[in-house]
Amino acid sequence: MKHDVAELLPFYVNGTLEAPDRARVEAELATCAECSAELGDLRVLAENLRARAEAAPPPPQALLARTFAELAPEPTLATRLRSAWWSAPARYATAVVLVASVSAGAVAAWHLRESAGRDDRFGAPSSVVYVSRSSAPHADAMEMAAPPVKSGPRTVGAATSSVAQSHRLARTATLSLIVHDAEASRTRATDLTGALGGVVTALSDEGPASAGDVHVVHLTIEVGATRLDDALDRLAQIGTVQRREIDAEDLDASLVDQDARLRNLRREETALRQLMDKRGSVDEILTVEQKLSDVRGSIEELDAQHQRDLHRVATSTIALTLTEDHPHAAPPKPGPTARIDGAWQNGVRALADTVVALVSVLAWAVAFSPVLLGVAGLAYLAKRGIGRLRPTQT
Amino acid sequence: MTDAEDRALLERIAKRDRLAFETFFGAHGADVHRFVRDLVRDDGLAEELTSDVMVEVWRGAGRFAGRSRVRTWVFGIAHHKAIDALRRSRGRTVPLDDLADQPSTTAGPEAAALHAAERDQLEAALASLSAEHRAVLELTYVGGFSQKEIAEVVGCPVATVKTRAFYAKGRLRDALGKAELPR
Repeated sequence: MKHDVAELLPFYVNGTLEAPDRARVEAELATCAECSAELGDLRVLAENLRARAEAAPPPPQALLARTFAELAPEPTLATRLRSAWWSAPARYATAVVLVASVSAGAVAAWHLRESAGRDDRFGAPSSVVYVSRSSAPHADAMEMAAPPVKSGPRTVGAATSSVAQSHRLARTATLSLIVHDAEASRTRATDLTGALGGVVTALSDEGPASAGDVHVVHLTIEVGATRLDDALDRLAQIGTVQRREIDAEDLDASLVDQDARLRNLRREETALRQLMDKRGSVDEILTVEQKLSDVRGSIEELDAQHQRDLHRVATSTIALTLTEDHPHAAPPKPGPTARIDGAWQNGVRALADTVVALVSVLAWAVAFSPVLLGVAGLAYLAKRGIGRLRPTQT
Repeated sequence: MTDAEDRALLERIAKRDRLAFETFFGAHGADVHRFVRDLVRDDGLAEELTSDVMVEVWRGAGRFAGRSRVRTWVFGIAHHKAIDALRRSRGRTVPLDDLADQPSTTAGPEAAALHAAERDQLEAALASLSAEHRAVLELTYVGGFSQKEIAEVVGCPVATVKTRAFYAKGRLRDALGKAELPR
Protein backbone atom coordinates (compact mmCIF):
# COMPACT_ATOMS: atom_id res chain seq x y z
CA MET A 1 0.00 0.00 0.00
CA LYS A 2 1.35 3.39 -0.97
CA HIS A 3 1.85 5.64 2.05
CA ASP A 4 0.31 8.75 0.46
CA VAL A 5 -2.80 6.78 -0.45
CA ALA A 6 -3.01 5.38 3.09
CA GLU A 7 -2.98 8.95 4.36
CA LEU A 8 -5.86 9.87 2.07
CA LEU A 9 -8.04 6.91 3.08
CA PRO A 10 -9.59 8.55 6.20
CA PHE A 11 -10.85 11.39 4.01
CA TYR A 12 -12.04 8.95 1.37
CA VAL A 13 -14.10 7.33 4.13
CA ASN A 14 -15.63 10.61 5.28
CA GLY A 15 -16.34 11.61 1.68
CA THR A 16 -14.43 14.88 1.62
CA LEU A 17 -11.70 14.10 -0.94
CA GLU A 18 -11.59 16.22 -4.05
CA ALA A 19 -11.98 14.48 -7.40
CA PRO A 20 -8.27 13.96 -8.31
CA ASP A 21 -7.41 12.49 -4.88
CA ARG A 22 -10.54 10.38 -4.92
CA ALA A 23 -9.62 8.98 -8.32
CA ARG A 24 -6.12 8.15 -7.08
CA VAL A 25 -7.48 6.32 -4.05
CA GLU A 26 -10.00 4.42 -6.13
CA ALA A 27 -7.36 3.37 -8.64
CA GLU A 28 -5.20 2.07 -5.80
CA LEU A 29 -8.14 0.30 -4.16
CA ALA A 30 -8.87 -1.56 -7.37
CA THR A 31 -5.49 -3.25 -7.34
CA CYS A 32 -4.32 -3.33 -3.72
CA ALA A 33 -5.97 -5.82 -1.38
CA GLU A 34 -4.19 -4.33 1.63
CA CYS A 35 -5.75 -0.96 0.83
CA SER A 36 -9.21 -2.50 0.67
CA ALA A 37 -8.67 -4.18 4.02
CA GLU A 38 -7.51 -0.90 5.51
CA LEU A 39 -10.57 0.82 4.05
CA GLY A 40 -12.86 -1.73 5.69
CA ASP A 41 -10.99 -1.20 8.94
CA LEU A 42 -11.45 2.57 8.76
CA ARG A 43 -15.14 2.23 7.96
CA VAL A 44 -15.62 0.14 11.10
CA LEU A 45 -13.67 2.70 13.09
CA ALA A 46 -15.83 5.52 11.68
CA GLU A 47 -18.98 3.59 12.52
CA ASN A 48 -17.79 2.95 16.08
CA LEU A 49 -16.82 6.57 16.65
CA ARG A 50 -20.12 7.82 15.24
CA ALA A 51 -22.11 5.41 17.40
CA ARG A 52 -20.10 6.53 20.40
CA ALA A 53 -20.78 10.19 19.55
CA GLU A 54 -24.49 9.54 19.22
CA ALA A 55 -24.54 7.93 22.64
CA ALA A 56 -22.62 10.81 24.24
CA PRO A 57 -24.56 12.72 26.91
CA PRO A 58 -25.86 16.08 25.68
CA PRO A 59 -24.85 19.24 27.53
CA PRO A 60 -27.16 20.00 30.47
CA GLN A 61 -30.25 22.09 29.74
CA ALA A 62 -29.04 24.78 32.11
CA LEU A 63 -25.93 25.44 30.02
CA LEU A 64 -27.81 27.70 27.61
CA ALA A 65 -29.19 29.77 30.49
CA ARG A 66 -25.72 29.98 32.02
CA THR A 67 -24.27 31.13 28.70
CA PHE A 68 -27.07 33.66 28.33
CA ALA A 69 -26.20 34.99 31.78
CA GLU A 70 -22.67 35.63 30.56
CA LEU A 71 -24.01 37.63 27.65
CA ALA A 72 -26.16 39.83 29.92
CA PRO A 73 -24.87 43.36 30.30
CA GLU A 74 -23.52 44.57 33.64
CA PRO A 75 -26.22 46.00 35.93
CA THR A 76 -26.46 49.72 35.36
CA LEU A 77 -25.53 52.30 37.96
CA ALA A 78 -29.19 53.23 38.31
CA THR A 79 -30.18 49.64 39.12
CA ARG A 80 -27.47 49.32 41.73
CA LEU A 81 -28.33 52.67 43.32
CA ARG A 82 -31.98 51.72 43.47
CA SER A 83 -31.35 48.42 45.19
CA ALA A 84 -28.92 50.05 47.63
CA TRP A 85 -31.50 52.69 48.38
CA TRP A 86 -34.28 50.27 49.22
CA SER A 87 -32.15 47.94 51.22
CA ALA A 88 -30.73 50.77 53.36
CA PRO A 89 -32.37 51.22 56.78
CA ALA A 90 -33.02 54.87 56.10
CA ARG A 91 -36.74 54.41 55.73
CA TYR A 92 -37.90 57.06 58.20
CA ALA A 93 -36.04 59.74 56.31
CA THR A 94 -37.29 58.25 53.06
CA ALA A 95 -40.86 58.48 54.29
CA VAL A 96 -40.55 62.22 54.77
CA VAL A 97 -38.88 62.70 51.40
CA LEU A 98 -41.42 60.48 49.68
CA VAL A 99 -44.45 62.22 51.09
CA ALA A 100 -42.98 65.51 49.97
CA SER A 101 -42.06 64.28 46.52
CA VAL A 102 -45.17 62.30 45.62
CA SER A 103 -46.82 65.37 44.18
CA ALA A 104 -43.70 66.39 42.27
CA GLY A 105 -43.28 62.78 41.12
CA ALA A 106 -46.77 62.69 39.74
CA VAL A 107 -45.99 65.62 37.50
CA ALA A 108 -42.72 64.02 36.37
CA ALA A 109 -44.48 60.73 35.71
CA TRP A 110 -46.79 62.35 33.23
CA HIS A 111 -43.76 63.46 31.27
CA LEU A 112 -42.22 60.01 31.52
CA ARG A 113 -45.37 58.33 30.37
CA GLU A 114 -45.43 60.53 27.33
CA SER A 115 -41.81 59.91 26.35
CA ALA A 116 -41.48 56.21 27.31
CA GLY A 117 -43.99 53.39 27.57
CA ARG A 118 -44.03 52.43 23.92
CA ASP A 119 -41.20 49.89 24.34
CA ASP A 120 -42.45 48.60 27.66
CA ARG A 121 -44.02 45.53 26.11
CA PHE A 122 -42.43 43.07 28.45
CA GLY A 123 -41.87 45.18 31.51
CA ALA A 124 -38.95 43.88 33.50
CA PRO A 125 -35.49 44.78 32.11
CA SER A 126 -34.41 41.12 32.36
CA SER A 127 -36.73 40.22 29.52
CA VAL A 128 -34.76 42.36 27.07
CA VAL A 129 -33.89 38.98 25.55
CA TYR A 130 -37.25 38.77 23.94
CA VAL A 131 -37.92 42.38 23.14
CA SER A 132 -39.65 42.40 19.82
CA ARG A 133 -37.81 43.88 16.86
CA SER A 134 -41.10 44.92 15.49
CA SER A 135 -44.31 45.39 17.35
CA ALA A 136 -45.90 46.49 14.13
CA PRO A 137 -49.07 44.76 13.00
CA HIS A 138 -48.87 41.56 11.04
CA ALA A 139 -48.86 42.97 7.52
CA ASP A 140 -46.11 45.47 8.28
CA ALA A 141 -43.99 42.86 9.99
CA MET A 142 -44.15 40.66 6.95
CA GLU A 143 -42.87 43.41 4.77
CA MET A 144 -40.05 44.20 7.15
CA ALA A 145 -39.00 40.59 7.42
CA ALA A 146 -38.76 39.99 3.71
CA PRO A 147 -36.02 37.34 3.37
CA PRO A 148 -32.63 38.83 2.62
CA VAL A 149 -30.79 37.50 -0.43
CA LYS A 150 -27.80 35.56 0.85
CA SER A 151 -24.43 35.76 -0.85
CA GLY A 152 -23.80 32.01 -0.82
CA PRO A 153 -23.64 30.47 -4.27
CA ARG A 154 -26.33 27.90 -3.59
CA THR A 155 -28.69 30.19 -1.77
CA VAL A 156 -31.37 32.44 -3.10
CA GLY A 157 -33.78 34.74 -1.37
CA ALA A 158 -37.53 34.50 -1.26
CA ALA A 159 -38.56 31.58 -3.33
CA THR A 160 -42.02 30.81 -4.54
CA SER A 161 -43.50 27.36 -4.78
CA SER A 162 -43.32 27.21 -8.56
CA VAL A 163 -39.59 28.03 -8.50
CA ALA A 164 -39.07 25.36 -5.85
CA GLN A 165 -40.34 22.72 -8.21
CA SER A 166 -38.36 23.66 -11.30
CA HIS A 167 -35.08 24.24 -9.43
CA ARG A 168 -35.36 21.54 -6.78
CA LEU A 169 -34.90 23.82 -3.81
CA ALA A 170 -34.77 22.71 -0.22
CA ARG A 171 -36.65 25.44 1.55
CA THR A 172 -36.58 26.16 5.25
CA ALA A 173 -38.43 28.88 7.07
CA THR A 174 -38.09 30.61 10.38
CA LEU A 175 -41.15 32.12 11.99
CA SER A 176 -41.06 33.87 15.36
CA LEU A 177 -44.33 34.93 16.88
CA ILE A 178 -45.29 36.91 19.95
CA VAL A 179 -48.39 35.32 21.46
CA HIS A 180 -50.48 35.90 24.52
CA ASP A 181 -50.76 32.29 25.66
CA ALA A 182 -47.89 30.01 24.56
CA GLU A 183 -49.72 26.86 25.65
CA ALA A 184 -52.87 27.58 23.64
CA SER A 185 -50.85 28.80 20.66
CA ARG A 186 -48.79 25.62 20.67
CA THR A 187 -51.96 23.57 20.48
CA ARG A 188 -53.24 25.76 17.65
CA ALA A 189 -49.95 25.40 15.76
CA THR A 190 -50.02 21.63 16.21
CA ASP A 191 -53.63 21.42 15.02
CA LEU A 192 -52.86 23.63 12.05
CA THR A 193 -49.88 21.46 11.14
CA GLY A 194 -52.12 18.41 11.16
CA ALA A 195 -54.68 20.20 9.00
CA LEU A 196 -51.97 21.04 6.48
CA GLY A 197 -50.85 17.42 6.32
CA GLY A 198 -47.58 18.20 8.08
CA VAL A 199 -45.90 16.83 11.17
CA VAL A 200 -44.28 18.34 14.22
CA THR A 201 -40.84 16.76 14.27
CA ALA A 202 -39.45 18.51 17.36
CA LEU A 203 -40.97 20.37 20.25
CA SER A 204 -39.33 22.10 23.14
CA ASP A 205 -41.47 23.86 25.68
CA GLU A 206 -39.44 26.00 28.03
CA GLY A 207 -41.96 26.81 30.71
CA PRO A 208 -40.89 29.73 32.85
CA ALA A 209 -38.69 28.49 35.71
CA SER A 210 -39.06 31.53 37.90
CA ALA A 211 -40.91 34.79 38.08
CA GLY A 212 -39.83 37.15 35.34
CA ASP A 213 -39.05 34.36 32.86
CA VAL A 214 -40.90 34.34 29.58
CA HIS A 215 -42.63 31.19 28.36
CA VAL A 216 -41.09 30.15 25.03
CA VAL A 217 -42.07 27.21 22.84
CA HIS A 218 -39.99 25.99 19.89
CA LEU A 219 -41.55 23.74 17.27
CA THR A 220 -40.01 22.20 14.20
CA ILE A 221 -42.65 21.54 11.61
CA GLU A 222 -42.37 19.66 8.33
CA VAL A 223 -44.89 20.35 5.60
CA GLY A 224 -45.08 19.52 1.92
CA ALA A 225 -42.85 21.94 -0.02
CA THR A 226 -45.79 23.28 -2.03
CA ARG A 227 -47.71 24.17 1.11
CA LEU A 228 -44.92 26.14 2.82
CA ASP A 229 -46.27 29.59 1.96
CA ASP A 230 -49.80 28.64 2.89
CA ALA A 231 -48.53 27.13 6.17
CA LEU A 232 -46.53 30.24 7.02
CA ASP A 233 -49.49 32.52 6.33
CA ARG A 234 -51.79 30.47 8.51
CA LEU A 235 -49.27 29.99 11.33
CA ALA A 236 -48.56 33.73 11.29
CA GLN A 237 -52.17 34.39 12.26
CA ILE A 238 -51.59 32.79 15.65
CA GLY A 239 -49.71 35.82 16.96
CA THR A 240 -47.81 38.95 16.08
CA VAL A 241 -45.01 38.22 13.62
CA GLN A 242 -41.64 39.10 15.07
CA ARG A 243 -39.60 37.50 12.31
CA ARG A 244 -40.40 35.60 9.15
CA GLU A 245 -37.64 34.30 6.92
CA ILE A 246 -37.38 31.81 4.11
CA ASP A 247 -34.10 30.25 3.07
CA ALA A 248 -33.68 28.09 0.02
CA GLU A 249 -30.80 25.87 -0.95
CA ASP A 250 -30.58 24.76 -4.56
CA LEU A 251 -29.94 21.01 -4.44
CA ASP A 252 -30.33 20.52 -8.17
CA ALA A 253 -26.60 20.28 -8.97
CA SER A 254 -25.94 17.98 -6.05
CA LEU A 255 -28.90 15.72 -6.92
CA VAL A 256 -27.72 15.44 -10.52
CA ASP A 257 -24.22 14.64 -9.29
CA GLN A 258 -25.56 11.99 -6.90
CA ASP A 259 -27.57 10.47 -9.73
CA ALA A 260 -24.50 10.21 -11.94
CA ARG A 261 -22.33 8.77 -9.20
CA LEU A 262 -24.99 6.24 -8.25
CA ARG A 263 -25.27 5.12 -11.88
CA ASN A 264 -21.49 4.68 -12.09
CA LEU A 265 -21.35 2.73 -8.87
CA ARG A 266 -24.20 0.44 -9.94
CA ARG A 267 -22.42 -0.19 -13.24
CA GLU A 268 -19.26 -1.03 -11.30
CA GLU A 269 -21.26 -3.36 -9.09
CA THR A 270 -22.64 -5.21 -12.10
CA ALA A 271 -19.16 -5.54 -13.59
CA LEU A 272 -17.81 -6.93 -10.33
CA ARG A 273 -20.64 -9.45 -10.08
CA GLN A 274 -19.80 -10.66 -13.57
CA LEU A 275 -16.17 -10.99 -12.50
CA MET A 276 -17.25 -13.09 -9.52
CA ASP A 277 -19.00 -15.52 -11.87
CA LYS A 278 -15.78 -16.17 -13.76
CA ARG A 279 -13.96 -18.52 -11.47
CA GLY A 280 -10.47 -17.42 -10.49
CA SER A 281 -8.04 -18.16 -7.68
CA VAL A 282 -9.19 -17.82 -4.07
CA ASP A 283 -7.13 -14.64 -3.73
CA GLU A 284 -8.80 -13.10 -6.75
CA ILE A 285 -12.27 -14.00 -5.53
CA LEU A 286 -11.52 -12.53 -2.10
CA THR A 287 -10.26 -9.31 -3.63
CA VAL A 288 -13.29 -8.97 -5.87
CA GLU A 289 -15.57 -9.77 -2.95
CA GLN A 290 -13.96 -7.06 -0.83
CA LYS A 291 -14.24 -4.56 -3.66
CA LEU A 292 -17.85 -5.52 -4.20
CA SER A 293 -18.71 -4.96 -0.55
CA ASP A 294 -17.00 -1.56 -0.70
CA VAL A 295 -19.02 -0.59 -3.74
CA ARG A 296 -22.20 -1.74 -2.04
CA GLY A 297 -21.25 0.36 0.99
CA SER A 298 -20.70 3.43 -1.18
CA ILE A 299 -23.99 2.87 -3.00
CA GLU A 300 -25.90 2.60 0.26
CA GLU A 301 -24.23 5.71 1.66
CA LEU A 302 -24.83 7.76 -1.44
CA ASP A 303 -28.35 6.45 -1.89
CA ALA A 304 -29.19 7.43 1.69
CA GLN A 305 -27.84 10.92 1.06
CA HIS A 306 -29.80 11.06 -2.20
CA GLN A 307 -33.03 10.07 -0.46
CA ARG A 308 -32.38 12.60 2.29
CA ASP A 309 -31.87 15.36 -0.24
CA LEU A 310 -34.97 14.37 -2.20
CA HIS A 311 -36.90 14.44 1.07
CA ARG A 312 -35.52 17.91 1.80
CA VAL A 313 -36.79 19.08 -1.59
CA ALA A 314 -40.19 17.48 -1.14
CA THR A 315 -40.74 18.82 2.36
CA SER A 316 -40.05 22.17 3.94
CA THR A 317 -39.07 22.72 7.50
CA ILE A 318 -40.45 25.56 9.59
CA ALA A 319 -38.70 26.55 12.80
CA LEU A 320 -41.51 28.12 14.77
CA THR A 321 -40.89 30.03 17.97
CA LEU A 322 -43.77 31.15 20.17
CA THR A 323 -42.83 33.71 22.80
CA GLU A 324 -45.35 34.91 25.37
CA ASP A 325 -45.84 38.65 25.50
CA HIS A 326 -45.56 38.84 29.26
CA PRO A 327 -43.13 37.50 31.86
CA HIS A 328 -44.35 34.74 34.15
CA ALA A 329 -46.07 36.08 37.34
CA ALA A 330 -44.80 39.49 36.42
CA PRO A 331 -43.04 41.30 39.23
CA PRO A 332 -44.05 44.95 39.77
CA LYS A 333 -43.33 46.63 36.53
CA PRO A 334 -41.17 49.71 36.74
CA GLY A 335 -43.31 51.58 34.24
CA PRO A 336 -44.19 55.17 35.20
CA THR A 337 -47.59 54.34 36.71
CA ALA A 338 -46.25 51.30 38.50
CA ARG A 339 -43.32 53.29 39.80
CA ILE A 340 -45.69 55.83 41.32
CA ASP A 341 -47.71 52.94 42.78
CA GLY A 342 -44.56 51.46 44.27
CA ALA A 343 -43.40 54.79 45.57
CA TRP A 344 -46.80 55.43 47.12
CA GLN A 345 -46.89 52.00 48.78
CA ASN A 346 -43.36 52.42 50.10
CA GLY A 347 -44.24 55.91 51.32
CA VAL A 348 -47.32 54.68 53.13
CA ARG A 349 -45.34 51.82 54.64
CA ALA A 350 -42.61 54.19 55.79
CA LEU A 351 -45.19 56.61 57.19
CA ALA A 352 -46.82 53.76 59.09
CA ASP A 353 -43.41 52.76 60.42
CA THR A 354 -42.82 56.34 61.56
CA VAL A 355 -46.21 56.51 63.28
CA VAL A 356 -45.58 53.19 64.99
CA ALA A 357 -42.19 54.44 66.15
CA LEU A 358 -43.66 57.68 67.49
CA VAL A 359 -46.49 55.83 69.27
CA SER A 360 -43.89 53.48 70.77
CA VAL A 361 -41.93 56.43 72.10
CA LEU A 362 -45.16 57.86 73.51
CA ALA A 363 -46.12 54.56 75.13
CA TRP A 364 -42.66 54.30 76.60
CA ALA A 365 -43.03 57.81 78.01
CA VAL A 366 -46.46 56.96 79.53
CA ALA A 367 -45.10 53.75 81.06
CA PHE A 368 -42.23 55.61 82.65
CA SER A 369 -44.38 58.64 83.60
CA PRO A 370 -44.42 57.97 87.43
CA VAL A 371 -40.65 57.82 87.45
CA LEU A 372 -40.39 60.84 85.16
CA LEU A 373 -42.91 62.78 87.32
CA GLY A 374 -41.02 61.79 90.48
CA VAL A 375 -37.76 62.98 89.02
CA ALA A 376 -39.39 66.21 87.84
CA GLY A 377 -41.00 66.75 91.28
CA LEU A 378 -37.71 66.18 93.08
CA ALA A 379 -35.99 68.58 90.74
CA TYR A 380 -38.67 71.19 91.40
CA LEU A 381 -38.49 70.76 95.17
CA ALA A 382 -34.73 70.91 95.10
CA LYS A 383 -34.86 74.12 93.12
CA ARG A 384 -37.36 75.68 95.57
CA GLY A 385 -35.35 74.48 98.58
CA ILE A 386 -32.21 76.11 97.24
CA GLY A 387 -34.23 79.31 96.57
CA ARG A 388 -35.41 79.45 100.21
CA LEU A 389 -32.00 78.75 101.68
CA ARG A 390 -30.29 81.56 99.79
CA PRO A 391 -31.87 84.60 101.68
CA THR A 392 -31.14 83.10 105.13
CA GLN A 393 -27.56 82.70 104.18
CA THR A 394 -27.14 86.32 103.02
CA MET B 1 -28.20 22.80 9.51
CA THR B 2 -26.59 24.01 6.27
CA ASP B 3 -23.78 26.52 6.15
CA ALA B 4 -26.14 29.06 4.56
CA GLU B 5 -28.44 28.72 7.54
CA ASP B 6 -25.48 29.06 9.89
CA ARG B 7 -24.36 32.21 8.12
CA ALA B 8 -27.84 33.70 8.31
CA LEU B 9 -27.91 32.98 12.04
CA LEU B 10 -24.46 34.46 12.52
CA GLU B 11 -25.53 37.65 10.76
CA ARG B 12 -28.42 37.93 13.15
CA ILE B 13 -26.20 37.14 16.14
CA ALA B 14 -23.89 39.96 15.04
CA LYS B 15 -26.94 42.21 15.37
CA ARG B 16 -27.39 40.95 18.94
CA ASP B 17 -30.38 38.73 18.18
CA ARG B 18 -30.70 36.41 21.16
CA LEU B 19 -33.24 34.14 19.52
CA ALA B 20 -30.75 33.49 16.72
CA PHE B 21 -28.10 32.76 19.32
CA GLU B 22 -30.41 30.29 21.01
CA THR B 23 -31.03 28.54 17.69
CA PHE B 24 -27.31 28.46 17.00
CA PHE B 25 -26.67 27.02 20.45
CA GLY B 26 -29.31 24.40 19.80
CA ALA B 27 -27.74 23.44 16.48
CA HIS B 28 -24.09 23.32 17.51
CA GLY B 29 -23.95 23.30 21.31
CA ALA B 30 -24.10 19.53 21.65
CA ASP B 31 -21.43 18.93 18.97
CA VAL B 32 -19.09 21.51 20.45
CA HIS B 33 -19.69 20.09 23.93
CA ARG B 34 -18.88 16.55 22.79
CA PHE B 35 -15.78 17.70 20.95
CA VAL B 36 -14.27 19.65 23.84
CA ARG B 37 -15.36 16.94 26.29
CA ASP B 38 -13.43 14.40 24.22
CA LEU B 39 -10.38 16.65 24.26
CA VAL B 40 -10.30 17.63 27.93
CA ARG B 41 -12.06 14.52 29.34
CA ASP B 42 -13.63 16.49 32.17
CA ASP B 43 -17.40 17.13 32.30
CA GLY B 44 -17.30 20.34 34.32
CA LEU B 45 -14.51 21.86 32.27
CA ALA B 46 -16.24 20.78 29.04
CA GLU B 47 -19.41 22.65 30.02
CA GLU B 48 -17.41 25.73 30.93
CA LEU B 49 -15.54 25.58 27.63
CA THR B 50 -18.72 25.07 25.59
CA SER B 51 -20.16 28.15 27.22
CA ASP B 52 -16.92 30.07 26.54
CA VAL B 53 -16.98 29.02 22.89
CA MET B 54 -20.58 30.18 22.49
CA VAL B 55 -19.85 33.50 24.22
CA GLU B 56 -16.96 33.90 21.77
CA VAL B 57 -19.40 33.23 18.89
CA TRP B 58 -21.67 35.93 20.30
CA ARG B 59 -18.84 38.41 20.54
CA GLY B 60 -17.07 37.49 17.31
CA ALA B 61 -20.08 36.93 15.01
CA GLY B 62 -19.51 40.31 13.39
CA ARG B 63 -15.86 39.52 12.76
CA PHE B 64 -16.50 36.18 11.02
CA ALA B 65 -14.77 36.63 7.67
CA GLY B 66 -16.74 33.96 5.83
CA ARG B 67 -13.73 32.34 4.21
CA SER B 68 -14.59 28.96 5.74
CA ARG B 69 -17.75 27.17 6.80
CA VAL B 70 -19.24 28.52 10.02
CA ARG B 71 -18.85 25.09 11.59
CA THR B 72 -15.12 25.09 10.85
CA TRP B 73 -14.79 28.47 12.48
CA VAL B 74 -16.70 27.37 15.60
CA PHE B 75 -14.71 24.15 15.96
CA GLY B 76 -11.53 26.20 15.53
CA ILE B 77 -12.53 28.30 18.53
CA ALA B 78 -13.46 25.16 20.47
CA HIS B 79 -10.17 23.43 19.67
CA HIS B 80 -8.15 26.48 20.63
CA LYS B 81 -9.94 26.88 23.95
CA ALA B 82 -9.75 23.18 24.81
CA ILE B 83 -6.03 22.88 24.08
CA ASP B 84 -5.43 26.10 26.00
CA ALA B 85 -7.33 24.72 28.99
CA LEU B 86 -5.38 21.45 28.81
CA ARG B 87 -2.09 23.30 28.81
CA ARG B 88 -3.12 25.43 31.76
CA SER B 89 -4.36 22.44 33.74
CA ARG B 90 -1.03 20.73 33.27
CA GLY B 91 0.76 23.84 34.40
CA ARG B 92 3.29 23.63 31.63
CA THR B 93 3.43 23.71 27.88
CA VAL B 94 3.03 20.26 26.43
CA PRO B 95 4.54 19.84 22.98
CA LEU B 96 1.39 18.17 21.71
CA ASP B 97 2.48 18.30 18.11
CA ASP B 98 5.70 16.44 18.85
CA LEU B 99 3.84 13.73 20.67
CA ALA B 100 1.14 13.43 18.08
CA ASP B 101 3.10 12.51 15.02
CA GLN B 102 5.24 9.61 16.18
CA PRO B 103 4.64 6.42 14.24
CA SER B 104 2.83 3.66 16.08
CA THR B 105 4.85 0.72 17.28
CA THR B 106 3.24 -2.05 15.30
CA ALA B 107 2.37 -2.11 11.65
CA GLY B 108 -0.17 -3.89 9.50
CA PRO B 109 -3.95 -3.84 9.77
CA GLU B 110 -5.56 -5.69 12.63
CA ALA B 111 -9.11 -5.39 11.53
CA ALA B 112 -10.23 -7.79 14.22
CA ALA B 113 -9.20 -5.37 16.94
CA LEU B 114 -11.68 -2.77 15.75
CA HIS B 115 -14.41 -5.21 14.84
CA ALA B 116 -14.35 -6.68 18.31
CA ALA B 117 -13.98 -3.39 20.12
CA GLU B 118 -16.46 -3.02 22.91
CA ARG B 119 -17.62 0.46 23.82
CA ASP B 120 -15.55 0.75 27.01
CA GLN B 121 -12.48 -0.67 25.31
CA LEU B 122 -12.82 2.03 22.70
CA GLU B 123 -13.22 4.56 25.50
CA ALA B 124 -10.07 3.37 27.25
CA ALA B 125 -8.15 3.30 23.99
CA LEU B 126 -9.22 6.85 23.13
CA ALA B 127 -8.21 7.99 26.61
CA SER B 128 -4.70 6.68 26.00
CA LEU B 129 -4.30 8.88 22.90
CA SER B 130 -3.03 12.46 22.89
CA ALA B 131 -5.65 15.20 22.75
CA GLU B 132 -4.51 16.11 19.24
CA HIS B 133 -4.99 12.54 18.03
CA ARG B 134 -8.45 12.42 19.59
CA ALA B 135 -9.26 15.76 17.96
CA VAL B 136 -8.30 14.61 14.49
CA LEU B 137 -10.23 11.32 14.85
CA GLU B 138 -13.33 13.14 16.04
CA LEU B 139 -13.10 15.81 13.35
CA THR B 140 -12.55 13.28 10.56
CA TYR B 141 -14.95 10.47 11.39
CA VAL B 142 -17.66 12.21 13.41
CA GLY B 143 -17.44 15.82 12.26
CA GLY B 144 -16.95 14.89 8.60
CA PHE B 145 -14.45 17.69 8.03
CA SER B 146 -12.04 17.73 5.06
CA GLN B 147 -8.25 17.76 5.48
CA LYS B 148 -8.14 21.47 4.72
CA GLU B 149 -10.86 22.25 7.22
CA ILE B 150 -9.18 20.21 9.96
CA ALA B 151 -5.94 22.05 9.24
CA GLU B 152 -7.83 25.26 9.83
CA VAL B 153 -9.52 24.00 13.00
CA VAL B 154 -6.34 22.74 14.66
CA GLY B 155 -4.08 25.37 13.12
CA CYS B 156 -1.46 23.27 11.35
CA PRO B 157 -0.49 22.43 7.75
CA VAL B 158 -2.60 20.00 5.72
CA ALA B 159 0.32 17.57 5.51
CA THR B 160 0.39 17.37 9.31
CA VAL B 161 -3.33 16.62 9.39
CA LYS B 162 -2.88 13.70 7.01
CA THR B 163 0.02 12.29 9.02
CA ARG B 164 -1.88 12.80 12.24
CA ALA B 165 -5.04 11.09 10.96
CA PHE B 166 -2.92 8.16 9.82
CA TYR B 167 -0.99 7.73 13.06
CA ALA B 168 -4.00 8.46 15.28
CA LYS B 169 -5.71 5.44 13.79
CA GLY B 170 -2.54 3.35 14.22
CA ARG B 171 -2.23 4.33 17.86
CA LEU B 172 -5.88 3.62 18.52
CA ARG B 173 -5.45 0.19 16.95
CA ASP B 174 -2.39 -0.45 19.14
CA ALA B 175 -4.31 0.60 22.24
CA LEU B 176 -7.23 -1.64 21.31
CA GLY B 177 -4.82 -4.49 20.71
CA LYS B 178 -3.37 -4.07 24.19
CA ALA B 179 -6.79 -3.85 25.76
CA GLU B 180 -7.60 -7.28 24.39
CA LEU B 181 -4.63 -8.96 26.05
CA PRO B 182 -5.53 -10.89 29.19
CA ARG B 183 -4.04 -9.38 32.34
